[in-house]
Amino acid sequence: MSGLDLGLRAQAEAIASGQLDPAELLDACLERIEQRNPELNAVVETFPERSREMLAQAPRGPLYGVPVLIKDEWPLPWRAQRFGSAQMLSTPEPGESGPYLALRDAGAVIVGVGNMHELGMSSTGAISVYEPARNPWDIERCPGGSSSGPASAVASGLVAGAVGADGLGSIRYPGAYCGLTGLKPTFGRAAIAGHEIYNTETIVSGPLCRDAGDARLLASVLFGEEIPAGEAQPSRIGVVRDPLWEDCAAEVRERCEQGLDALVAETGSSVVELELPELGLWLTAALMVAQAEEAARLTPERVNSLRKEVSPIARGLMKLRAAIPATLPARSLLVRAQARRRLAAIFEQVDMLAWPTVPAVAPPLASPLVELPSSGVVSADVANGRHGTIANLTGIPGMSLPVGLSEGLPVGLQLLGSWQSDAALLDAAEALERATEREFVELRPAARA
Amino acid sequence: MVAPFLLGCGRAMSEETAFQSYIEGALAGLEIEVDEVERAVIKGVWALYEPGIRALLEADLDGVEQEMHPDIGRAPQ
Repeated sequence: MSGLDLGLRAQAEAIASGQLDPAELLDACLERIEQRNPELNAVVETFPERSREMLAQAPRGPLYGVPVLIKDEWPLPWRAQRFGSAQMLSTPEPGESGPYLALRDAGAVIVGVGNMHELGMSSTGAISVYEPARNPWDIERCPGGSSSGPASAVASGLVAGAVGADGLGSIRYPGAYCGLTGLKPTFGRAAIAGHEIYNTETIVSGPLCRDAGDARLLASVLFGEEIPAGEAQPSRIGVVRDPLWEDCAAEVRERCEQGLDALVAETGSSVVELELPELGLWLTAALMVAQAEEAARLTPERVNSLRKEVSPIARGLMKLRAAIPATLPARSLLVRAQARRRLAAIFEQVDMLAWPTVPAVAPPLASPLVELPSSGVVSADVANGRHGTIANLTGIPGMSLPVGLSEGLPVGLQLLGSWQSDAALLDAAEALERATEREFVELRPAARA
Repeated sequence: MVAPFLLGCGRAMSEETAFQSYIEGALAGLEIEVDEVERAVIKGVWALYEPGIRALLEADLDGVEQEMHPDIGRAPQ
């Protein structure tokens, strides 16, 4: 087996013990990208000389010599981010973003830049100036967005770990679609300096990896502090049956129920039924708060200057955002205050929440629609939004964990915890892996064989 | 290409709502130029989210106390 097929921490351990040569690993990684990426389009740029320089100067940190990918959302000293778009509302410049510095200081080697959905505007990954990344489980399917390239690259074995960004679910959705473990940390814990939206209260950086142990390692690097592993404690796990479990594709619900049952059995936990009638309002508020964060850039002059190379969807959305009345984001901040207090009260009753990360498996790239029991065929973005945005609106951490396949495509179970409970989520994810004998984190798409 | 995301949203394209009229007026007032495809995207997206936006406008938030300088990464005080 190639060293590339090891997980992130196994690669780090093998290098540290001298069993794996990091220069050879880097060369093998670049070669594999060259071989497999044309079909996947997960990696939009490599820079072998920069990567070799990083390795030559790498400190003996926790990721010494390990190749990782970084999303096209984060500036690097030698490359400005492009957000998967032909044009942005500002002129991005190269720089030392927080995730770059965290990776560099940990000894990691940034081997390339991962594709993303144009301007981060969708949960599907279906549009990018580079053409979309492909889902290695079925290259005609969406890889999820907006961290599409990082997820596709890890799932296809190009790298063992990648740094994404999650503003409205953008790590967890591709994690679910590609069968990975993705962590959206508590707001403010992971490195974020240098992000385009400098005033954000919704966006975080976070890891996409094959399992929870790898996610813990990469998250520790992004947090700048070790996230200690612990034994998952018996927990009260809150579930919101209607609509978050009931309004899902039947097999998605079944796989997630099996995963939840396994977690409950492994940890001696209990399930608490909850109702969240405010969920629809929270979704709208999350969208409004997120759009307001970039409102300062939405001048008529700038949106009028968007060229035809930017998709009409992105142009239309930008122009719509520029015209939204200020009442909506202002009221959304009141809803956020209400939602945060409501969640704080809920986390007195339960220790975590659980529901499917997305209500249906990855839709076709050519037509990113899904079918739900309540409403028939709908946009995947509309369907996914109510499952993921609550974490970004309120700041709590969330994870997507693989729990099996439906129609040959991965299904993800989402766990959400109270503020700063990232470690407990990772502990629970590891308990689930033990309970399922790592069956689901070891599943690999045929494209990877 | 018209937004694939908007398929399955028949009402979006057929009815002109007050909100859509408002957006048209706001775009014109701000001198934001919109071509035919962008207008279709805007109408479709707005129609998708209009029920939620109406709910946001109609929600009783008068008694809600705003968080002062919240630390979003921490539980509310």
